[in-house]
Amino acid sequence: MISVKNNLKQLNQNLTWDKGVGILLVLTVIFGWVMTPDFASTSNLGFVLQDIGEILIIALPMTFLIIAGEIDLSVASTLSLASSTMGYAYRSGLGFGIAVFIGILVSILCGAINGFLVNYLGLQSLAVTIGTMGLFRGLCFVLLGNQPVNQLPDFWANLGSESIPHTFLPWSVVIIIPSVIIAWVVLHRTRVGRWTFVTGISAEAARFSGIPDKRFKFWLFVATGFMSGVAAFVYTLRFASASPDSATGYELSVIAAVLFGGVSIAGGFGTMWGVLFSVLELGAIRSVLQLINFTANALQMVSGALLLFSVALPRVIEMLKTRREARVKPSVTSLTSSRSV
Amino acid sequence: MRKLISIREFPIFVVFVLFYLTAGLGNHQIFTTSGLHDILFGSAIVALLAVAETLIIVMKHIDLSIGSVIGFSSYLIGKNASEGHGLFFCMSIGVGLGLLVGALNGLLVAYFRLPSLVVTLGTLYLVRGYFSQVVGGDFINSGQVPKLLTSMATHTFVKVPLLFIVSLIVALIVGLYMRNMRSGRDLYAIGSNHSAALLAGINVAHRTFWAFTAAGGIAGFAGAVLLARYGQAQANSGLGIELNVVAACVVGGVAIAGGVGTVYGAIIGAILLQTIVLALGALGVSQFWQGVVNGALLIAAISLDKILSMRSVRTQIMRKVQHD
Amino acid sequence: MQEVLQIAGAAKRFGGVHALIDANLTLYAGEIHALLGENGAGKSTLLKSLAGVHQLDAGSIRLFGRDFNVSGTRGSQDQGIAVIYQEPSLFPDLTLAENVFVGRQLGKGLKVDWREMNRRAGELFVRLGVPLDPSRRARGLSIADQQIVEIAKALSLNAKVIVMDEPTAALSGSETERLFGVARSLRNEGAALVFVSHRLDEVMELCHRVTVLRDGATVATAAISEVDIDQIVKWMVGREVSELFPKVASNIGETILKVEGLSREGQFDDISFDVKSGEIVGVAGLVGSGRSEVVRAIFGVDKYDSGSVEFLGEKLKRNSPGEAMQRGIAFVPEDRRQQGLFMPISILKNISITMLKTLSNFGLVSRSQELAEGEEWSRKLQIKFNSINDSVDRLSGGNQQKVVLAKWLSTRPRLLIIDEPTRGIDVGTKSEVHRFISEQASRGLGILMISSELPEVLGMADKVLVMREGRLVGRFSAKDATPENVIAAASGAN
Repeated sequence: MISVKNNLKQLNQNLTWDKGVGILLVLTVIFGWVMTPDFASTSNLGFVLQDIGEILIIALPMTFLIIAGEIDLSVASTLSLASSTMGYAYRSGLGFGIAVFIGILVSILCGAINGFLVNYLGLQSLAVTIGTMGLFRGLCFVLLGNQPVNQLPDFWANLGSESIPHTFLPWSVVIIIPSVIIAWVVLHRTRVGRWTFVTGISAEAARFSGIPDKRFKFWLFVATGFMSGVAAFVYTLRFASASPDSATGYELSVIAAVLFGGVSIAGGFGTMWGVLFSVLELGAIRSVLQLINFTANALQMVSGALLLFSVALPRVIEMLKTRREARVKPSVTSLTSSRSV
Repeated sequence: MRKLISIREFPIFVVFVLFYLTAGLGNHQIFTTSGLHDILFGSAIVALLAVAETLIIVMKHIDLSIGSVIGFSSYLIGKNASEGHGLFFCMSIGVGLGLLVGALNGLLVAYFRLPSLVVTLGTLYLVRGYFSQVVGGDFINSGQVPKLLTSMATHTFVKVPLLFIVSLIVALIVGLYMRNMRSGRDLYAIGSNHSAALLAGINVAHRTFWAFTAAGGIAGFAGAVLLARYGQAQANSGLGIELNVVAACVVGGVAIAGGVGTVYGAIIGAILLQTIVLALGALGVSQFWQGVVNGALLIAAISLDKILSMRSVRTQIMRKVQHD
Repeated sequence: MQEVLQIAGAAKRFGGVHALIDANLTLYAGEIHALLGENGAGKSTLLKSLAGVHQLDAGSIRLFGRDFNVSGTRGSQDQGIAVIYQEPSLFPDLTLAENVFVGRQLGKGLKVDWREMNRRAGELFVRLGVPLDPSRRARGLSIADQQIVEIAKALSLNAKVIVMDEPTAALSGSETERLFGVARSLRNEGAALVFVSHRLDEVMELCHRVTVLRDGATVATAAISEVDIDQIVKWMVGREVSELFPKVASNIGETILKVEGLSREGQFDDISFDVKSGEIVGVAGLVGSGRSEVVRAIFGVDKYDSGSVEFLGEKLKRNSPGEAMQRGIAFVPEDRRQQGLFMPISILKNISITMLKTLSNFGLVSRSQELAEGEEWSRKLQIKFNSINDSVDRLSGGNQQKVVLAKWLSTRPRLLIIDEPTRGIDVGTKSEVHRFISEQASRGLGILMISSELPEVLGMADKVLVMREGRLVGRFSAKDATPENVIAAASGAN
């Protein structure tokens, strides 16, 4: 009994959550490689990167949002709206570049709407983004009806499916890698990152420390919208079409990935490494499942389970800890004593 | 009369009447009994789910998994029926699924004290994923739906669709519970002031757990209604219905902040949403605006609720001036 | 008279702070007993022990001669002690009758009997002489009425001891009279009431006996008829003031802060004063007199409706703490744990949070510079810790306060606003903090200090402002300020 406790204690101190996910990633890769040699092939790695590309892009600002104590369920709808706008604009005759630009503007606007409702009207981000999730998705159908836009310029459509010459990397890494690096640096090395953490711990104390918390969180929502637009660009090229029901369920994958990466749903805690490993892990699991002939639906199930696991585990640890502490402390005795008045 | 006006559900009812009239102006057919029939028929499922969701929202929680439950349940009921099992057996499977998922939600929210948003988001996809995996490409067609259910879909009672009456009956049961049973009142107390509820000796965890379980059970039951209504079930059944349900509740006066609202309001909210869809159609607005309207309504309802109910009163420091 | 409650030798410690050392109180049936004492004297700790929130470390509580053993408020309610707080916590969406009977709704079996509940609640309200409608929702009820509902709840639980903690703070004159009427009728029925208040005039009017706490111990118990306010004040304040505070002489220079006509509806009205460089301005007053609200509005965390704030000759933007900070104002808030610090975060990061811009090169925070600044200020303030990367919730209250001070002084401000500089701090650290503040003043910093500890205000301030119920009611220079003047102004005893 005692040795188990000691072991757990040591594990607790040395093993931070993100390291754990990293280890899990390595294990999954090994497992996949053992199952089928194809798994570790470069072409498969390329597939995985393509698969999780948009999720990773959106997970970056989502990490900031959740650490700051908020959440955004509308990201997939924003992506879809941006993509639909791009398709609609292009189909209406505008140049593709301009169409993309307009699409990203739309996604920024979506983020601003969320930011405004949450920070200036003071509504809860959960409820609001459920609403905007439906609102933005609905607008996709208003724009495109039931007809996706399938005609994209060849150059761009090819870019979406090809790799960078002489490598297995899809072109999207040109966007993804710098984004990840910037996000990491901003979160862990700049004032903005510090503000994110402290605002998530206590918005009140942040205000008392001179941090303009409402304005700050507003811009976090805008950034989330923007990155959803960038992801829309990648998504549209990948599927070479803009469709009103794009990216359904992506918000789950993003949130599950962020939480599984060790970011606390209560805010104030998390690392970008953890999120990075977590998204890669998600991709790895998906790939493994595909190779064992699970359907795409299985991934939904796995994502759901991961989500539950990532919030339940910290709570279980906390509950075990308090139970242990309660046993150690001496019990409070009754009030009477022999003290004379 | 004054008391009638002050009931929380009254303004929503008025709005419903207004939309109904608008809808009718565009399409006189709506004023006929068949028009009313269509509204009630179309809103039956959302209404039933909204009743379940009300139990959760008044406690200041949320349950996003009911869409997956209803879909999966409808499939299970149909599948078992097509394999020759009796209706009661099939229904038990469906309700059982709902109770199981509800209990899982309840366990995590009440005893592990995890945020209900995240938990039910997780179970939403867990169930949906498993459902899709189990179903694959299979689907239930109208030939496989139990005869009793299909006939219920077509019959009416005093011109009111039977399916809607089912929802109404469930609403009455739950409504009476929430109004007149001690444990039902505790749900409101929990949502109104969680910490004070604990101090008052209410077993918050217990109540929360059973509320989620019950909501799941109702969603499971609703699977039969879904099956009857559409005459089919497949992997997409019930997809995305959560938004409509939450919107119906909030619009119907069940505040997201908890502590207030009744199942009757939720039902009116569901009817209202359905009427708006028809009203838009009557005004020549394409059906594609439906999602937009639902989302906008939800946001509007939340905003209005926030503005109207200023819960925290700023501390009064200066003695109030008495105008005696 | 029957002895209802006896508290003897109560002691309670929180970490290094001795909230109660030797508190005694005897309560008889049919009396209204005042419990008085300055902030920090131990009143609220004593009440919380009665309510079951805390367990005493030593001493005894006897109710009707039997040992009173309680854990959790449920226990104390069941045994007959009810505490009514200044701001009751009702269920806004439930009806008044439900609020009275929450968790124990009247009924047959599982079903609620609405009629019976409404009838009984109505009866209680009538008995208290306040005609409230039991079937209306609690939302929107005035604080005065909320208290009545709480009292009704206490009666429905057959409470024999009813404690009222600062009940009149938020009441109007007539509501206070009504509450007094209720208290008197309860007492006539044989209940025993404890009335905690800073309003000495009310105490004289309502109560029969008084017990005064000071520094965690009972210093006096007397019949109201045998004492006057001056005597009570003397008991509350006690020790000589001059010995304690090494005040460093400083040159008082130009005006740096000028506040004119500051008002916010319901909170404060027409506040005007100024602070000069090198000057320590103390703001005294009872808890809830609006002092914190005023300084929060000056710093920008709260809004104000009218008036102006001028800092270093230029108007200060409303409602923008960021701007105030940039212009050179520092703010050490009242609630260290919720407002002043980020508890799970390291000492170093707490100190540097205000200075990040200057610690950055090209937008990246320089870890080495941060560490250097953090260590320098920890040295200057003599903050005791294991490692500067430990989280602040490991520190004692005194060291936590020093971290807050370090955080703000590192911004090299011209004006330091502190709300309760030494609340919940041990004696040793207290004098360190005082010395430090004096030093800063002698270097030209202007200090605006809110304090509910009279000796602190009198010992340190060059100028004492007194607030009462949102208004500035007293202005004294260091020479003229005496404990009697200040308390008299603060409680409106004249």
